[in-house]
Amino acid sequence: MRLTISSARAAFVAGVLAIPAVLGAQDVAIRNATIITIANGDIPNGTIVVRGGKITAVGANVAIPAGIRVIDGTGKFVMPGIIDAHSHAALEGGINEGSESVTPEVRVQVKNDDAVIYRALAGGVTAALQLHGSANTIGGQGNVVKMRWGASAEDMLFKGAFRIVKFALGENVTRASSTEPADQRRFPMTRMGVEFTVQYWFNKAKEYQKEWDDYRAGLKANPNAIMPRRDLRLEALSDILKGDLKVHSHSYRADEILMLIRVAEENGFKVHTFQHVLEGYKVADEMARHGAMASTFADMWAYKVEAWDAISFNMALMSSRGVVVSVNSDSDERIRRLYHEAGLGVRYGNMPVNEALKMITLNPARQLGVDKMTGTLETGKDGDIAVFSAHPFAPEAMVEYTLVDGKVLFDRSEGAALGKQAATGPGGNQ
Amino acid sequence: MVRRLVRALPLGVFVATAAASAQTNNPAGPPVARSNYALTNVRIVSAPGRVIERGTVVFVDGRIAAVGANVPIPAGVVRMDLAGYTVYPGLIDAATSIGLPNPNRVLPTAGDATAAPGRGGRGGQPLGRAGAAGPAPDLPEVEAGAEAADMFQPSDAELRALRAGGVTTVGLVFNGGIFPGRIGAALTGTQANSHLSLRTGAGQQVAFGTKRGGLYPSTGIGSVAFIRQAFLDAQYEGRVEKAFKAGIPGARPSNDPFSRALVPAATNAMQSWFVASDERQIGRVADIATEMELKNPVVVGSQEGWRAIPALKRMGATAVVSVMWPAPDSVTGRVFLAIGLGKSGTAPPTTAADTSEVRGNAAALLKAGVPVALASYGGASGANFRDRIRMAIAAGLSPDDALRAATVTPAALLGVTAAVGTIEVGKLANVVVVSGNDLFAAGSTIKHVFVEGRLY
Repeated sequence: MRLTISSARAAFVAGVLAIPAVLGAQDVAIRNATIITIANGDIPNGTIVVRGGKITAVGANVAIPAGIRVIDGTGKFVMPGIIDAHSHAALEGGINEGSESVTPEVRVQVKNDDAVIYRALAGGVTAALQLHGSANTIGGQGNVVKMRWGASAEDMLFKGAFRIVKFALGENVTRASSTEPADQRRFPMTRMGVEFTVQYWFNKAKEYQKEWDDYRAGLKANPNAIMPRRDLRLEALSDILKGDLKVHSHSYRADEILMLIRVAEENGFKVHTFQHVLEGYKVADEMARHGAMASTFADMWAYKVEAWDAISFNMALMSSRGVVVSVNSDSDERIRRLYHEAGLGVRYGNMPVNEALKMITLNPARQLGVDKMTGTLETGKDGDIAVFSAHPFAPEAMVEYTLVDGKVLFDRSEGAALGKQAATGPGGNQ
Repeated sequence: MVRRLVRALPLGVFVATAAASAQTNNPAGPPVARSNYALTNVRIVSAPGRVIERGTVVFVDGRIAAVGANVPIPAGVVRMDLAGYTVYPGLIDAATSIGLPNPNRVLPTAGDATAAPGRGGRGGQPLGRAGAAGPAPDLPEVEAGAEAADMFQPSDAELRALRAGGVTTVGLVFNGGIFPGRIGAALTGTQANSHLSLRTGAGQQVAFGTKRGGLYPSTGIGSVAFIRQAFLDAQYEGRVEKAFKAGIPGARPSNDPFSRALVPAATNAMQSWFVASDERQIGRVADIATEMELKNPVVVGSQEGWRAIPALKRMGATAVVSVMWPAPDSVTGRVFLAIGLGKSGTAPPTTAADTSEVRGNAAALLKAGVPVALASYGGASGANFRDRIRMAIAAGLSPDDALRAATVTPAALLGVTAAVGTIEVGKLANVVVVSGNDLFAAGSTIKHVFVEGRLY
């Protein structure tokens, strides 16, 4: 059903700008499709029902409630909405607060009307981690968002997701590509300096925690004690130590990955996920032992010196050693075709198809802390669904519908819009 | 709660006699009469909804001495028969950057001794102005104690334009910075005749600016964090100051000038005035105000206020609504009309309804219960302030609400109610005389503007 421009305008003029009721309906069924559940295998000729934004039934023999929208899935493939564990799409106010090397008090800002969101929907993406850039040893906090096209910035935030902060190692942090004279560049300028910076700031965070602990402990004895100064930077680092703020660290080389694991363990925090992690295949056992997950590229290498030793078998090798692996976009363009990237896991290293698909569904969901809500097609989970014209790894596959919370927010028949509107947000590798 | 009225009340002392037509030559503008007047046979709108169909207003020594249908006219005043005209309180433009140095201005060439950053206007240094030709002194992005009213240096042409738009009082808000200083209020007379500053410390300005030279914060996202930390630091400074005064052992204020200057705003002894125009910026202000427990902040600009009503209500804000409207096709969410959600992919053309929505901002906010003051912030309406208010009226604002939003509400917001905003005995003789009976009617013309009893 196509809405006329005039009725849409009426909604806008009324100050509503909400999704028109007919399209906002969260009750929908897709029938007679191949359903890739991720959790419980594939169901040929299956049906999935979403009511009130949640999946209420998945299976071969499922009754469709009367009166709800039904999409004929004959010949189509239905999979969980794709999740991008590393994106800088739809941000505003900057990506890198790069003026200082430690800024975890900063948080990225959603630009809810950036057309890149719709483009991501066209690639079946229903959720993403919007990360701070990698200019800082300890950068800013990210946002986990759902691609709720048409919603406010606040309503795009994925409730219940992890709080995540960006760390970074290597050449981006040391400003290796900077053309400024060395004496005008910011500390740290070497990998040694990066290690020192992490160590130094967690020492400070522990002192800060002690100041507050002492204050709270002494309050009964001394009711006149002055409440200490709140420091948002040290508070964020303190939250990392408590496990309330998860570390996602930009990394390339094996040595720096091992360094951060060691410093984290010495200081009592965990590196939740290594981002990029192109040499992860060399240290997968150490990562698995630490409990770190990995979010990487499929076949990007040698685009800078520290990316020299990257190989396409990285995803398969890390997975085979027990590391939870996702494949991400880090790009406003690649975000449209993450299913191709995941397919490369089958080509390079013979990953089972379902394991490869997990790299863009359940695994990133675990990395973002949303695996209870999305990442598989199971009863009770959110109605975040991508409907493909063929198996997502087939070269000819295209996304036909993308549903977020049961709302059809992308419909291929409206896809003419894609070619006519440029995304305005920042993009590219960070 | 008026803190400091710069201008003490008995200000006409130097005008020794009430002799008529003491002409003062202003080399940069027309002669300005300083005298005592009686406006007779005039329709008087003394405040929104308060009308005397035919009466007299008397000005003595720059102040309103009498208002009413039948008031005695003292001897020696200049009588003006204004039958067929209406006298209104002079309008207040609640926020303008006209005549202020610009915190965003890049540093002038090194070696310019007058341009020491952060010292313009204080310590006797002459000030340049935003928009003036030639190098202008710089302002730092962060100088919480700086006073806009101390720096107000408009040109005569700018003042003339403001008066031509019916504006007799302005709220002074810097254009940019992060904590560029404090809000002030000033008159729009001529500088040669009087000092213009009406009050300082009317509010603490906050804006999502950045620092130059790659210093923290260098981005909008950094700016938000910087602002939050600054309020926390000032709240801590306030706690320590209080404990120090109470003689609690160990309490020692840092006396950091920035934190100290921010203590009143951080502890709600002064209102915070946040500059925010679009929906998402206003949302960020609401987040900060809620987190920092700032009471009744002011949101300056509020160009997309109607799209952010829940945020404005959540923080109990007053919206200083700019009459410099955004282009309708630039409004947040416009793309939703073009892409997805059943759209064709082509942006719909802007219609009269879109324009009306943008200009109906003030009306929509008032309807939702958000207090509104009108302003030219974000541009310079100059002589068109009244015309732009007319556009807001055409888009749904009632003329009474418009008058209130351009007189009484901004006067209260700026803490100058005792001096301006209505035609009442004792207030400054700031009035506008307009043909016909409606200041905002399309065909009406402004015949006279009085600022502090001077006829312009």
